[in-house]
Amino acid sequence: MSSSEPRAGLTAMAKSLLVGLEDSAGTDRATELAIEIAQAQGARLVGLAIIDEPDITAGAAMGIGGSSYKQDRDKILIEDAHRRAREHEELFEHRCKKASVPARVLEVSGRPAEMILEELQHHDMVLLGRDANFRFETQAADTRTWDLVLHRASRPLIVVPENEVASSNAVALAYDGSVAATRAMRSFVSSGLARGRELHVVTVHENGATGWEIATEAVQALEELGYKAQLHNIVSVLPLAKALLQTAASVNASLIVMGAFAHSRLRHLFRGSATQQLVEQTTIPLFLTH
Amino acid sequence: MTPFWAVLPFLVYLLGIAVVPIFFGHFWEKNRNKLIVALLVSLPVFLYLSSAPHGGALLGRTALDYLSFMALLTALFTISGGICLRGALVGSPLVNTAFLAVGSVIGSLVGTTGASVLLIRPLLRANDRRAYATHIVVFFIFIVSNGAGLLTPLGDPPLFLGFLHGVPFTWTLRLLPHWALVNGALLALFAVIDRIQFMRERRLPRRRSHTPAPLVVEAAGRLQLQGTLNLVWLAGMVGVVFLVGSFGERYLGDGVLRAAVQIAGTLLFAALSYKTTRPEVHEVNRFSWGPVIEVAVVFVGVFVTMIPAMSFLGERGSTLGITKPWQFFWASGALSSVLDNAPTYLTFASLATGVASAAGGAVLSPDNLGALAAHPVGRELLTAVSCGAVLMGAVTYMGNGPNFMVKAIAEQHRMRTPSFLGYTLWSFAILIPIFLVVSHVFF
Repeated sequence: MSSSEPRAGLTAMAKSLLVGLEDSAGTDRATELAIEIAQAQGARLVGLAIIDEPDITAGAAMGIGGSSYKQDRDKILIEDAHRRAREHEELFEHRCKKASVPARVLEVSGRPAEMILEELQHHDMVLLGRDANFRFETQAADTRTWDLVLHRASRPLIVVPENEVASSNAVALAYDGSVAATRAMRSFVSSGLARGRELHVVTVHENGATGWEIATEAVQALEELGYKAQLHNIVSVLPLAKALLQTAASVNASLIVMGAFAHSRLRHLFRGSATQQLVEQTTIPLFLTH
Repeated sequence: MTPFWAVLPFLVYLLGIAVVPIFFGHFWEKNRNKLIVALLVSLPVFLYLSSAPHGGALLGRTALDYLSFMALLTALFTISGGICLRGALVGSPLVNTAFLAVGSVIGSLVGTTGASVLLIRPLLRANDRRAYATHIVVFFIFIVSNGAGLLTPLGDPPLFLGFLHGVPFTWTLRLLPHWALVNGALLALFAVIDRIQFMRERRLPRRRSHTPAPLVVEAAGRLQLQGTLNLVWLAGMVGVVFLVGSFGERYLGDGVLRAAVQIAGTLLFAALSYKTTRPEVHEVNRFSWGPVIEVAVVFVGVFVTMIPAMSFLGERGSTLGITKPWQFFWASGALSSVLDNAPTYLTFASLATGVASAAGGAVLSPDNLGALAAHPVGRELLTAVSCGAVLMGAVTYMGNGPNFMVKAIAEQHRMRTPSFLGYTLWSFAILIPIFLVVSHVFF
């Protein structure tokens, strides 16, 4: 399958990418990927370091006399958070300078999810390490930030797992006919990331004929945008995430595109969320939009 | 008879102390705000006492108790803040269990806060490379910050309040079997759990360090105890408290003079400690007057609002449905786990005077817990209240002052500590079964 090139004038390019900074392996890979994208598209990077002061200084149940110790502890944790943020910022700037990618850093104080969502308004997309913990001073793992960002990001979000990804041109576009999936596909195309990539539309459905129809719809939509794509209609009883990951691995994809949380929270409550499962299980970066 | 409404400020205040730091943490940080709240809740009580018979005398007596209480706490805090254990140990199960065992003993000599201050940082340093160390902090709180304080009035503020109200200094030594059962069980359980975690860690892939470097770096080196002169001041202070408490009434009367001698004596040793301790020892312990000032401010409200509450319970104690030792143990314990254990102790001790009076013999008063301690029924009730208030202060972070202090210090050392709910699950799983045994065996 030859790489795709769009019709002239139909593709915007991502010009400003936001990268969440902390010290996990996933964030390391996210920075790497952000630099690659920036080099390919001539974009600039903004590294966002977050001091989670609200959670550090949040009220706590304590006995009489505990308040003084809490203030002392809060002060030490905030100082440490600033010190670590500076280390992350310096490393990020060094890497961007080495790669000749224009970049700047931003240090903000606030709840991580709110800060990411707020800052994202000013950029074209955000890249976050899958194992990133922005509440590192107070929590061993940070599911709350992830939950909020995944549900509310107004721009594309690239989730980058901590493992190394084989360098490849292939992209798997998960498509189920939903509004979210269509929006993800268009968003991916308009970001410029589809240029020169080998596109594979993947549909997973219990009914082969229905799946084929859905997949064909996506392939046609891509053709209208000037992109050729290969169709993969998977008939499977496996959970969606598993089937999708297997197919993505079989085409050696280096990116998966998907509409996030296409179904209601109520459905997720009973049937689980495909997006959540995919984020937890993937070894390939995910391009997600709502 | 004391009206019920006069007790409301006490109930509201205790609840406020528990809840306000959670929901209005920034407001509660300032001692000025705490003082405003303390004075506001005390105002209705002042007004009530100004018109009640002997109200003025009660307030005066309470003021002396408050000053004695604060003098002792200040002295214990200052002296224990002037001692530190420097140097490096490796945190093996044997070393850790030994630390906790030592803590379980010295807690009754320097107070649970003092013992916690002295031992927590060396213990954290010894275990800073452990991957699984949460249980160490949890058991430290159980044993050193709570269970250790059962044997003398110096061990825990509730017992000192009892001492101020007449319980003989050596009376709490009768709690030795209870202390031994609880701390023995906890130490045994800890030794097993620590061994399991230690062996589990040995199977982990080798890494340079399991935990990041602690935020507060202290010098390693040969193990040494610094500030040992404070042990002399401690002995002096204990001597003053014991002598004045045991013989003061005979030679100094039971009024201002006796209280003044005790206060002056304890503060003298506090001052000697502060003056003779090297600044670097204070620095290692991160000593500041903040906690003492905070306790002083908050306890203004506790002491004042407690006056009508104690009278009310003393008058009506036998009608409230709590009459058996095991009921006192669990009731005082349950409240001590979520409200500060010092006023809870006095509340239930007052209740016990009413119950013991109804059982026969002399009519007892909450102002004279010595008589309660000597009463055949009262003695058992006071034992139950003492155990409940001291031991169950460990059930949540709120039950006793040092609990949160230990958590905060551990977090400064980058050790993960359980959340409020997480810690409470630990305590329910481990402490409640032990307390069931205590209740069955002793009450």
